[in-house]
Amino acid sequence: MIRIAAVGDIHVGEDTHGRLRPHWLTLDQHADVLLLAGDLTNVGSRKEADALIEEVRDLPVPVVAVLGNHDYHCDNPLGVRHALEAIGVIVLEGETVTLELAGCTVGIAGSKGFGGGFAGACGHKFGEPEMKDFIRVTEEASHRLEANLRSLQTDYRVALLHYAPVKDTLAGERLEIHAFLGAYQLGEALDSAGCDLALHGHAHHGTEKGMTPGGIPVRNVAMPLIKRPYAVYTLGGAKAGGSGAGRHQRETLTT
Amino acid sequence: MNQEYQYLVGKLQEALACDARVGALDIKITIAHGRVHLTGQVPTEERRANVGLVAHELMPQLDVRNDITVLELSESGKPEAVGD
Ligand SMILES: [Fe+2]
Ligand SMILES: [Fe+2]
Repeated sequence: MIRIAAVGDIHVGEDTHGRLRPHWLTLDQHADVLLLAGDLTNVGSRKEADALIEEVRDLPVPVVAVLGNHDYHCDNPLGVRHALEAIGVIVLEGETVTLELAGCTVGIAGSKGFGGGFAGACGHKFGEPEMKDFIRVTEEASHRLEANLRSLQTDYRVALLHYAPVKDTLAGERLEIHAFLGAYQLGEALDSAGCDLALHGHAHHGTEKGMTPGGIPVRNVAMPLIKRPYAVYTLGGAKAGGSGAGRHQRETLTT
Repeated sequence: MNQEYQYLVGKLQEALACDARVGALDIKITIAHGRVHLTGQVPTEERRANVGLVAHELMPQLDVRNDITVLELSESGKPEAVGD
């Protein structure tokens, strides 16, 4: 069994010093890894990146992160990324990492993702170039996510996103903004490649638990929603590592 | 809501999103009878105060009622077994 701690939307600023670190210092008692689902800073400034790494440095478990839209606001997402990487955090954007945790291999495909909306109320690559660009970004992120998940030959596979891949976990948000909160193409990528768990943030007023149409569990771990320093999800349960739901699901969905 | 107030809500929303002292996209704003009412949740007391400050700076002619709350964190809670 592996234990995954996850949280997003921590929105660290110069004013949040030490808010999370005391909780995170004992993470190894509860989890094998910490996944951060974007919006790690509030506006993505250099000072906020410095404050963020003070929270995250030298934690007792490996940390894997994606960035969120807030980390882009100062037009320097690479600054946030490099600050995190300098203290050993693995930052993914259209990339994967494989970790060995509790005797199992866990592959994580990470992407910020993007918006566009969900079936019946979504944008299309139609009309103005700006509109086409918007949806193209979402499609490209989704295609890469699918290819990355397929490439993982691990006991368990987890998708780490910022934007939502399904509508379920947006319940509570205003319908008018759903198209800015996530996109169905991300969910489609999860279902066609298969994975054991998808995590996202961004929808502060959404719902924690949802599922893709293909049955993959989706969890919205936005901190304003879960109101905890992290949530913990276990994969594998009573089954031995390597023969759990993860491997089974991959085999059935990708062959 | 009169016409002027509608545009003010939009302007204040934009200011609360883009002003680095706040950077919040999910503050609820109601303007009526000469008063701006702000609700929602932010991570710190300082950011709560900044929401009120930005609103006051943008529309000094209106009273600002700041009912923003600060997010309190509880313990991490029980793990959930997924996919079993
Ligand atoms: Fe956020
Ligand atoms: Fe976000």
